[in-house]
Amino acid sequence: MSRMWRVGLLAGLALAAAAPPAHAFVAYVSNEKSNTVSVIDTDTWTVTKTIKVGQRPRGIDLTRDGRFVMVAVGDDDTIEVIDTKTQTVVDSLPSGPDPELFAQDAAGKILYVANENDNTVTVIDLEKRARLGDIQVGVEPEGMTISPDGKTLINTSETTNMAHFIDTATRQIVANVLVDARPRYAEYKHDSSEVWVSSEIGGTVSIIDPKKHEVIGKVTFEIPGLRKEAIQPVGIGMTRDDKTAFVALGPANRIAVVDVATRKVTKYLLVGQRVWHVAFTPDEKYLLTTNGVSNDVSVIDVAAQKVIKTIQVGELPWGVAIAP
Amino acid sequence: MKILALAAMAIALCATAARAADPRHPDWPCTQAKVPEISLAAVWSGPPLDDVQSKWKDDAKISALVARLSARKTPMDEAEKAVKEVLAASGPDKTNNAKLLFAGLFDTLNAQRSQVMNGLERVSRKQRDAADKIREEAVQLQALQGATPRDETKVEALSNDLIWKTRIFEDRTKVVRFVCEVPTSIDQRLFALGRVIQQEME
Repeated sequence: MSRMWRVGLLAGLALAAAAPPAHAFVAYVSNEKSNTVSVIDTDTWTVTKTIKVGQRPRGIDLTRDGRFVMVAVGDDDTIEVIDTKTQTVVDSLPSGPDPELFAQDAAGKILYVANENDNTVTVIDLEKRARLGDIQVGVEPEGMTISPDGKTLINTSETTNMAHFIDTATRQIVANVLVDARPRYAEYKHDSSEVWVSSEIGGTVSIIDPKKHEVIGKVTFEIPGLRKEAIQPVGIGMTRDDKTAFVALGPANRIAVVDVATRKVTKYLLVGQRVWHVAFTPDEKYLLTTNGVSNDVSVIDVAAQKVIKTIQVGELPWGVAIAP
Repeated sequence: MKILALAAMAIALCATAARAADPRHPDWPCTQAKVPEISLAAVWSGPPLDDVQSKWKDDAKISALVARLSARKTPMDEAEKAVKEVLAASGPDKTNNAKLLFAGLFDTLNAQRSQVMNGLERVSRKQRDAADKIREEAVQLQALQGATPRDETKVEALSNDLIWKTRIFEDRTKVVRFVCEVPTSIDQRLFALGRVIQQEME
């Protein structure tokens, strides 16, 4: 037994001090277990800084003006605000208990936060950094997305297996759509005609007509040699032309490339272990994926549909957001 | 009184430790889900390995490398470098060697992982027995303490024994929690090596 005890802890963070060239983007990765945010330069594909944040950072996004990174630190019951200039935590936002994921309206004025522990969505005024109110939703709210026109907020709840459609003006639920088990993430097509909802346990992506509030199709996944339970769809990224979707399949360690029109998988890309969320660079040349078990980020060349790079980050990388 | 409180705590501790998270694997002591075996498709998207099977064992050079790369004492960057060197020097045998090497790593690390997991389940069963024993002795101690006249020598002997058993139990619980990370670290190693091999084949 003694050999097992001597197993070394996971590799530490690699810190590279590269000066970013003028046109590089900056990616921010939340590391759920090491309580840090890794900063990646997309030109050199290296980690340029590791920012210490609160406990259990998961949901991460930038303010629309690109000045701040917001990161939900669930175990500290708050959302921390990182200044992108100084790359340090400068403020926090008043969420409810255990915030996991959030979405902001198109103008970047209002933030909606899913609080996993009290079955509510908190509404926050981003300018005043003040809490405006709460919306009661299903058990264990998870995925959050907002319609391109800002009028509808969609929240998925993990236990009731529903996507709740919420009117952002009245803050009332206008429809509940039943999807497959444990819905994790929701993504609107840019033309607003469909909402894609991933189901981690169900192993599918449900496609919902947001006007009729009906499931109109499903994307299914099959990988020869892999048990069905290992295919757990989570993060979804769709190209701006609405032609191609990239779906992260968790412990299948793959990203599925889906043709949006036919709703069929055209390719599977082996990335890293327990691939969770994805984000495009603003020029849509690259897609970054967070791989929770291999503790790295994979870089996919979007046009070539090929993995071109792997970058070690902190422990249990969860979310990723990219600034111009 | 202190000892009784300790025993009560130990019992509570045992109760949580003995409860299996997954009913399919009652002896599995870890919070991490038990994945009995790594499936090849989860770690490999290269060419099929059907034609190499266990032939890696017949190749002395490859099997020596497999042993070196599988050992957790070999740092990952050193292991990755070794993979690149061997494949670069393979010439026309590159694809075949890459397949042999990965087949060997897959077999070896999967076996290593099963061994660790069996060990964890064995310790988990032992812990359950220890918990029963602690519970029994705590009840006995209570009876002894309540008896008139009270046999102080016996009370003390049993208290001491209980303190020791509880301490051993707690220590083992901590070790188990640590060892629970090992199957994942083996998964990580296999995946990382597989990825390097596939990159080198492209």
